[in-house]
Amino acid sequence: MLKEEGKVKKVLPILMAIVIVLGTVAACTPQTVTVEVPVERTVEVEVEVPVEKTVEVPVEVEVPVEKEIVIYNSYMSDPEPREADAGQVAMFEEKYPNIDVVHSTIAHEDFKQAIRAYLTASTPPDVMTWFAGNRARFFIDKGLIMDVSDVWESEGWNESYPAGFRAMSSVDGKQYFVPASWYWWAVYYRKDIFDQYELEPPETWEEFLQVCETLKENGVTPITIGTKYRWTAAAWFDYLNMRINGPEFHIDLMLGKEKYDDPRVEKIFTDYWAPLIEDGYFIDEPAAYTWQEALQFLIDGDAAMYLMGDFLRDSYPDEEESKLDFFRFPIIDPSVPIGEDAPTDGYFIAASAQHTDAAKELLGFLGSVEAQQYFADQLGRLPTNMEVDTSGFTPMQQQGLELIQGADFVAQFYDRDTTPEMADEGMNGFMEFWDNPDTIGDILARLETVRQEVFESE
Amino acid sequence: MTTRKFFSSPWRTLGFVALLLVTFIWLVPLLTALVTAFRSNDDIMLQGGPFSLPREIVLTNFQTAWERGGLSRYLPNSFIITLPSLLLTLFLSSLSAYALARFRFRGNRLIFFLYVGGTLLPFQVLMLPVFRLTDALGLYDTFAGLIAIHTAFQLGFCTFLLRNYMRTVPGEIMEAARIDGCGEFRIWWQIMMPLTMPAIAALATLEFTWIFNDYLWAIVLLRNDALKPVTAGLATLQGQYIMDWTVIVAGALLATVPTIFVFLFLQRYFIEGLTLGATKG
Amino acid sequence: MERRQVLSKSAPYLFLIVPLIIYLIWVVGPMFYSFYLSMTKWDGLSAPVFIGLRNYQKLFKDPVFFVSLKNNLKWVVSFITIPVAAGLGLAMALNRTIPGEKFFKASFYAPMVLSFVVIGLIWSWMYNPAHGLLNQLLRMLRLDSLAIGWLSEKNVVMWAIIVVATWRQVGYVMVLYLAGLQGVDPGLLDASKVDGCSGWQTFRHVIFPLLAPVTVIVVVISIIDSLRAFDLVSVMTRGGPYNSSSVLANFMYIEAFNNYKMGYGAAISVIQFLISVVFIFIYLWRVLQTEMEY
Repeated sequence: MLKEEGKVKKVLPILMAIVIVLGTVAACTPQTVTVEVPVERTVEVEVEVPVEKTVEVPVEVEVPVEKEIVIYNSYMSDPEPREADAGQVAMFEEKYPNIDVVHSTIAHEDFKQAIRAYLTASTPPDVMTWFAGNRARFFIDKGLIMDVSDVWESEGWNESYPAGFRAMSSVDGKQYFVPASWYWWAVYYRKDIFDQYELEPPETWEEFLQVCETLKENGVTPITIGTKYRWTAAAWFDYLNMRINGPEFHIDLMLGKEKYDDPRVEKIFTDYWAPLIEDGYFIDEPAAYTWQEALQFLIDGDAAMYLMGDFLRDSYPDEEESKLDFFRFPIIDPSVPIGEDAPTDGYFIAASAQHTDAAKELLGFLGSVEAQQYFADQLGRLPTNMEVDTSGFTPMQQQGLELIQGADFVAQFYDRDTTPEMADEGMNGFMEFWDNPDTIGDILARLETVRQEVFESE
Repeated sequence: MTTRKFFSSPWRTLGFVALLLVTFIWLVPLLTALVTAFRSNDDIMLQGGPFSLPREIVLTNFQTAWERGGLSRYLPNSFIITLPSLLLTLFLSSLSAYALARFRFRGNRLIFFLYVGGTLLPFQVLMLPVFRLTDALGLYDTFAGLIAIHTAFQLGFCTFLLRNYMRTVPGEIMEAARIDGCGEFRIWWQIMMPLTMPAIAALATLEFTWIFNDYLWAIVLLRNDALKPVTAGLATLQGQYIMDWTVIVAGALLATVPTIFVFLFLQRYFIEGLTLGATKG
Repeated sequence: MERRQVLSKSAPYLFLIVPLIIYLIWVVGPMFYSFYLSMTKWDGLSAPVFIGLRNYQKLFKDPVFFVSLKNNLKWVVSFITIPVAAGLGLAMALNRTIPGEKFFKASFYAPMVLSFVVIGLIWSWMYNPAHGLLNQLLRMLRLDSLAIGWLSEKNVVMWAIIVVATWRQVGYVMVLYLAGLQGVDPGLLDASKVDGCSGWQTFRHVIFPLLAPVTVIVVVISIIDSLRAFDLVSVMTRGGPYNSSSVLANFMYIEAFNNYKMGYGAAISVIQFLISVVFIFIYLWRVLQTEMEY
């Protein structure tokens, strides 16, 4: 035992030493970034040579140049957007060699929590990614976001951005946000399965129901959906509401100006949604699957359609992607304006940012034609700047662009258009309805109570 | 005993086989993870899900996880954060535990309950208050701030655990040392600590695992990318819409390597351990 | 002699002072601040607004709160029985020289080492109704009616998650008991054998009582961990389907960080804390009374 004790006695002091060393290293880690830049200059030098000649000799002279830095935190953690994001930063640094971008990518879900620490810290990130719509307004209303109307002005975006996007970024006539990329939602379907049963992409609701019935008769589940995280169900609510009651009513509902127990809302569930469920047009147990897991049914050919955003193609196996196509969510009432969901991401600057000039340069770049062209080409998403050349877009992108341009109104998606608390309750309600379509009356009554609490008690 | 002798008893052999079976079932999820790390996402989806037979073996996931997760940058950070926190908390809690375990004094129970109470609070509720505290102290976005909270936060549990282990040591040993004229600090260092080594080693293993695997504190208290630990880097492999399953699993497996090493290194202290037999000597 | 007596008297305080100060600043202080927060309305950004006990009134009318409480209780009952028994059993079985003992110990500890994200992911796959391992096996055994949506049926989901948590917890308890067994004097075991006690009797009357301090730790952490459970629920279901698998910590997280209601979230945590306090302190108080004095 004595020998063991001796060993222990020796080990502990060594460990202590390691702590002290590491602690010192940690404490001494420099936090600020100053960069020394070696500058090459050609210097003309007179050299004493038997033959008189002046010789140009390049001389490396170390001239410390104070580089500006800008801190940019991004939530683009999906694999492909992440690369494109890094590409944009590289392009910016090339264009502005005297600005260093300190670029961090944070996991998307974590960013939503961390942003509150960011915006209130004494040393915040300067530029950050964020969602358009209600989510951005939340921070703007609290004065945490910098007014960048001057950047909009100097970059000419007041002209080159569609009015809708400009409105989305403004509060009280001032611009705070730069929308940069967006994507469309549609019903994606297996072309080959449709061909097999001689089906055409439906345009009206009646045609849609026909398609579903035919598929079902032939042993194919018409629609797949993974509702474990609920937002996929919210998509159906959005579209049904916009098709039946119109986008204006839908947005008013999101903003708390309409009631949840309104008969127009109930109609969505009783006359259109419940029949789909009860006729068995959706897969079994959708709540057990994440949206990605539910994709398996589409890949296997067990299901034929999926109401989803374009990012679905990022997860689809490459060699099978050619079998996919999409169509606009069917029209229910032709007299109602067409609304589409097109969630938009963009950037803003923290009000307490410490590197304002460099931040505004970066912001200006991210909204420019050059950056957006690159981003759109890389990812197949759509740009917000109208001056971006769309002729080089893939057929899918063109189709998506047409889809949205053909719409009368663009919404951000349920959980971005309404407040987080209302969205949470609403989505729970959709899930409960899916399990028990008959209880929709009670569910809507409850949601109305929540709506009143959230929007009317302040 | 020798392997032959072990298996000579039929009951023991049966028990061993049963144990083997249970262990295998226990490991199924981990084996699934291992297999998944060597497949591509397309392969999984085309073959019908994660439990299908792989069509091909893919080695790139680990490299992708390493690069995209920035592991070469973040691994040193993880150690810089974990090791000092671990050693500081073990040191400080063993001091506290000794005081609480072997001395009768006023406030003993109160302080003990204070330490236990601290382990009952979920850390999410401490997140924003601690963030404000750290920022106010000027420690936001530093290693020191992170080490401080890890050390403090683990003190409760470690003190509680070590106090209980220390109570199992017979009091005669310490009395004998005191009579011999040993100072309290020497008694703590030379007698109590070695005797508590199994508990400390077990605790060190657990604490290393927990602190190394933490990332929410890192997310809240750090902003600079250069200081992030491995776990934060791996978390970025999860996207907003897309979970790159194979890369995430590969990355997670890579992240377990240090903790497995620590377990294998320390387990000889708390599994084979130092035999007590103190009263004999 | 006098000097040593003085030092002896103040020794415990000297030992405690540094750790205690750190602990007070970084844990106890924020803890009291969150008590204060529970009586405010705060969105995490602007200044908190004091509203007294309104958060608590709201909480006791919130159905999700009661669902969460019930779920946590299910968790507690599961945790203080199964992992404790299994962990102890494993520690006893593996605390001897058997072939491959390191392999066994590492295998049972391994679940602790993987991150919750991956554990949640893999088990979600296993529970997948159409393609998961569990249902595929059940269908192979012609037990199709049992092949349900393990994470989507509201009566089953909480237990399905608890199974995963238990699977993970067993190795943890095993490690603690293994360490405890090192402190058991082999001389006592020899003595009991000489006295003619069977293995079980030795266990019941010699080993188990000697492991009492470890058992106290194990029971306390089982209660704490089950009342604090968060990560698995967050990763596997986020409390769904519609809150049927909600636990207090998850409920708090959604209210505080998703709905920006930090004050309400703090109130949930305070209740969670008080429940834990009641359980733990009553248990510990009794244990302390019966602890051997020396």
